[in-house]
Amino acid sequence: MSTLERNPRSLTHPARTGLLLTLPALVFVTVFVLAPLVFAVYMSFTNWPLIGSYELIGLGNYAAIASDPVFWKSVGYTVLYTAIVTLPILVLGYVLAVVVRANRRFSTVFRTVFFVPYVIGLTTLSFLMVLEAQPGSGMVNIVLETLGITDGTTAWLADGPLATGLICVMIVWAVSGLTMVLLMGGMQGIPRDVYESAEMDGASWWQRERSITIPMLRRTIAMSLVISVIGSLLAFTQFYVLTRGGPGTDTQTVVMYIYQRGFVQLQLGAASALSIVLVVVVGLVTAAQFRLLREKD
Amino acid sequence: MELHRRTLLALGGIAGLSALLPSCASQLPEPDVTAAGFGQNATGTVRLWCRAATVVAVRQVVDAFNASQDAVSVEVTPVLDGQYVTKLATAIRGGNVPDIVDIDDINSMLFIYRDSFTDLTPLVEQLDFADRLNPGQLGLATRDQRHYGVPYIADNSLLYYNTELFERAGLDPVEHTRDFDGLLEAARAIGALEEGTYGWTIDGNAAGILGFVVQPHLWAADAPNIVGEVGDQRGAIEGNDAVRRTFELYRTMWTEGLMPQSNFSGDGARWGADFRDGRIGLFPSNFSLAALSATPEMRAKTGVVLLPGPDGGRSTFAGGDNLCIPRGAANASAAWQFARFALDLTQQENLPAGGYIPVRSDAATARYRQEFPLAVAPLEEIENAYAPTTLAYNLLFNQQNSPWIAAFRRAVFDGDVDGALAQGQKDFDRILEQAQL
Amino acid sequence: MASLTSPATQGTPRLLKVRRGRETPGAGRAENRTKLTLYWLGGILATLVFLLPLAWSVLRSFQANEAIVASDPDVGDLFTFTTENFSALFSSDLDVLRSVGNSLVVAIGTAVLTAVIATLAGYGFGRFAFRGRNVLFGVVVVTMMVPFQAIITPLYLQMNAMGLTDSRLGLVLFYTTVNLPFGVFVMRNAFETIPAEIEDSARVDGAGTMRSLVSVLRPMLVPGMATSALYAFLASWTEFLGALTFLTDDRLYTLPLSLVNLQSGAYGAVNYGYLVAGAVVAMIPCVILYVALQRFYVAGLASGAVKG
Repeated sequence: MSTLERNPRSLTHPARTGLLLTLPALVFVTVFVLAPLVFAVYMSFTNWPLIGSYELIGLGNYAAIASDPVFWKSVGYTVLYTAIVTLPILVLGYVLAVVVRANRRFSTVFRTVFFVPYVIGLTTLSFLMVLEAQPGSGMVNIVLETLGITDGTTAWLADGPLATGLICVMIVWAVSGLTMVLLMGGMQGIPRDVYESAEMDGASWWQRERSITIPMLRRTIAMSLVISVIGSLLAFTQFYVLTRGGPGTDTQTVVMYIYQRGFVQLQLGAASALSIVLVVVVGLVTAAQFRLLREKD
Repeated sequence: MELHRRTLLALGGIAGLSALLPSCASQLPEPDVTAAGFGQNATGTVRLWCRAATVVAVRQVVDAFNASQDAVSVEVTPVLDGQYVTKLATAIRGGNVPDIVDIDDINSMLFIYRDSFTDLTPLVEQLDFADRLNPGQLGLATRDQRHYGVPYIADNSLLYYNTELFERAGLDPVEHTRDFDGLLEAARAIGALEEGTYGWTIDGNAAGILGFVVQPHLWAADAPNIVGEVGDQRGAIEGNDAVRRTFELYRTMWTEGLMPQSNFSGDGARWGADFRDGRIGLFPSNFSLAALSATPEMRAKTGVVLLPGPDGGRSTFAGGDNLCIPRGAANASAAWQFARFALDLTQQENLPAGGYIPVRSDAATARYRQEFPLAVAPLEEIENAYAPTTLAYNLLFNQQNSPWIAAFRRAVFDGDVDGALAQGQKDFDRILEQAQL
Repeated sequence: MASLTSPATQGTPRLLKVRRGRETPGAGRAENRTKLTLYWLGGILATLVFLLPLAWSVLRSFQANEAIVASDPDVGDLFTFTTENFSALFSSDLDVLRSVGNSLVVAIGTAVLTAVIATLAGYGFGRFAFRGRNVLFGVVVVTMMVPFQAIITPLYLQMNAMGLTDSRLGLVLFYTTVNLPFGVFVMRNAFETIPAEIEDSARVDGAGTMRSLVSVLRPMLVPGMATSALYAFLASWTEFLGALTFLTDDRLYTLPLSLVNLQSGAYGAVNYGYLVAGAVVAMIPCVILYVALQRFYVAGLASGAVKG
């Protein structure tokens, strides 16, 4: 926050006006984020049903979480899913950023194209995947059959590991563009003379990436990792559309389970307790990632 | 400084206020069904929700109703089966309820226990055919002798078979549908007839279907998978011999290739297309999929019985829809006028044309038997119809992540019957316990 | 790192001009042939990987349902085109047009509201010194870290009590909140990069706060506003969990909810032809807006990362 120095308090910028300008944003954040958060804490101590009256039940919901095997299964699955997709997204995003960062002919076109799936969004892409994953008729199967890898009748969405694999591939394909854009921004911010001296020393391309680009991109990488990890931990849409969490609860993510408890089982109190746990975990993960990746700064 | 503190206070105030707001929700008002003229000569629009699975039959009756008079107009909104409970509950919560709901009978109790439906007892008792209404379905809308809904269409799970294949394999429709030994023998004989012919078919990745057609095997043996009264229920999976033998029957048919490969991933979208092509011997399903959707030629070589237990006995799912009027309904009077119309013999008699079974036993008239022979069995054996009374049916069976489908798949497709039973028992107990909260 | 956000004295597409002017690693004269070959090879290969599936989906939407669900489909059938999916989609039976309209209203409303509020807040945070500024800015940024997916339950009850469920306005307010932190962030950066002299000279001329904001600063703020508006539009156009939770009335359904109905056969038999056509309809505004405004969007995202 270097701005205080740059913009000294002045009569032309009265404090009252500044506060007034920020007020609408603050009201939004207060009403739609902070209030529900406070309210969630209260609800988590009740047995609040979606319809009907409620009573306070103390720490009952939290005690139940500790011994709820389905919740822990969904936690395990979400962590597994996050672990699988994070590195490929980063690596593919990095490679794509390397391709588009130079001001060569066509690099803007490439950049535009690589980012299109992210722009279209996971909801739409998931619906398209529904029909391409069908046994026999879906493109995924037709391509694999043509290549001689499978017999083309794989029921991708009816099997936990297969569905997970398919969704992971789709996600990496769809969201690497975001990582690419973020890393590209960082790469273009690195002064060129740093590379020139390295080139004179005869450093190879990979040596330069490793000794210059990656260290200087540390913060940008941290940022894109945080964005992608949080996105994965909160995954919902692609699983809802493609598997509904099934077969069984094999592909049920944490957010799906919260939705299930709140809006299918109609137990808002229990769902709120799960929400609080999730908020805390996401907060911790974010803090930890920033810490780890900023240590060397 | 002062300004800043005031802003923070104001923001805190807004936060506190918005947090308090939700607690002032109240019960929606119950329409007065005893008011003079209720359900007669009403006017206006009736918003009707139906579940997506029964939209064809509902539209048929609604169209007839709208054509029969000008004063009341019914608007149909189909709601996906998997979302129905959620959507109705949120609508009730939001105070913006439809005037009447066509609700899966097994989900009615969930809302009745939460005081969300209007008590229709006086209206139901006035019906001159009240004693001929499907007792299983009416039971699912009744709590402490009060009726909170009325049966509207029945949807029973039945075992349909291909008479031509039975004949070619030298099988007897009665003998070979009596118990599991007979079924397996029949399936083997038909599977052996020729390439591409199978003994049995089921959409093994559709939660609702597995609840609908697999459970009657247990009920026929008088061994349901949920025991106890609402509020104190538990699962009866592990140690339930009927469940084990049912899973084992399916497992055997799967490993011996008596069911098509596509059963593994079948999600209901093309349920029974193989049976209607004449390639399947036995097909547990309902009238709509097995008979109505088939060609007349195929229908002519189709027979039907109720689903047998492992050692005999017969049962069918007392499925179907009840009509209930949510509390807070804006036009309850017109809604009941529609319900009354829907229960008339003229409409009921004609339900199989839309794929469903009447809820009145007196609907099986001579004309009916003549026109819909494959829809007679469930009316004649109405006493064998059963459906569990529980608040957790949706969670235990109908959601794609329900334990029943999980246990079935684990036992049948993975071959781990013991694991499936143990896990199923745990999951049933957990969900039933959570549902008591 | 400073380049993208350093004060520049010219107007509008500042961010881009700055970038165009500089040379990036590897683009120097020492560039050899292998590198260039790799660039083209990788670029074209990746283009195919990203574009082919999407192009295929567009083709799919012109295939009949029978061809889409056929096992071992005939190649001829796959290239026999029909517009029946689209005509069915927009017929009164399915009425997907209404949900397209709902999605448009919600997404445009969200984009406009987000851009306006983020600009005001960005101005306040970026150009004014007031007590508690950093704390309040911190509060806004921290809400970025509170996943709305996690507070959906209490939020539902609260919006319900405020009469904002089953309401397009409710969805707009909700989506605006979700997109605000990013917008405020981008706009604060935009204001900070504007040299004080420009604004001050406007003030000396006697322009009031609002007028100075509008007339003098507008050209410099357009990229940031376009970024936050586009970001908000794309995020809300096919948002799923919020719409699923807050909407019950099918007349208010946004496009993704209608697609679920198509996927699950709420209107009778499942028809994948309708589904793929609906998904293609969902793609169109995203792609058009993105291609038209991508200079701002990409630059905005990239600068956000650099400042991050």
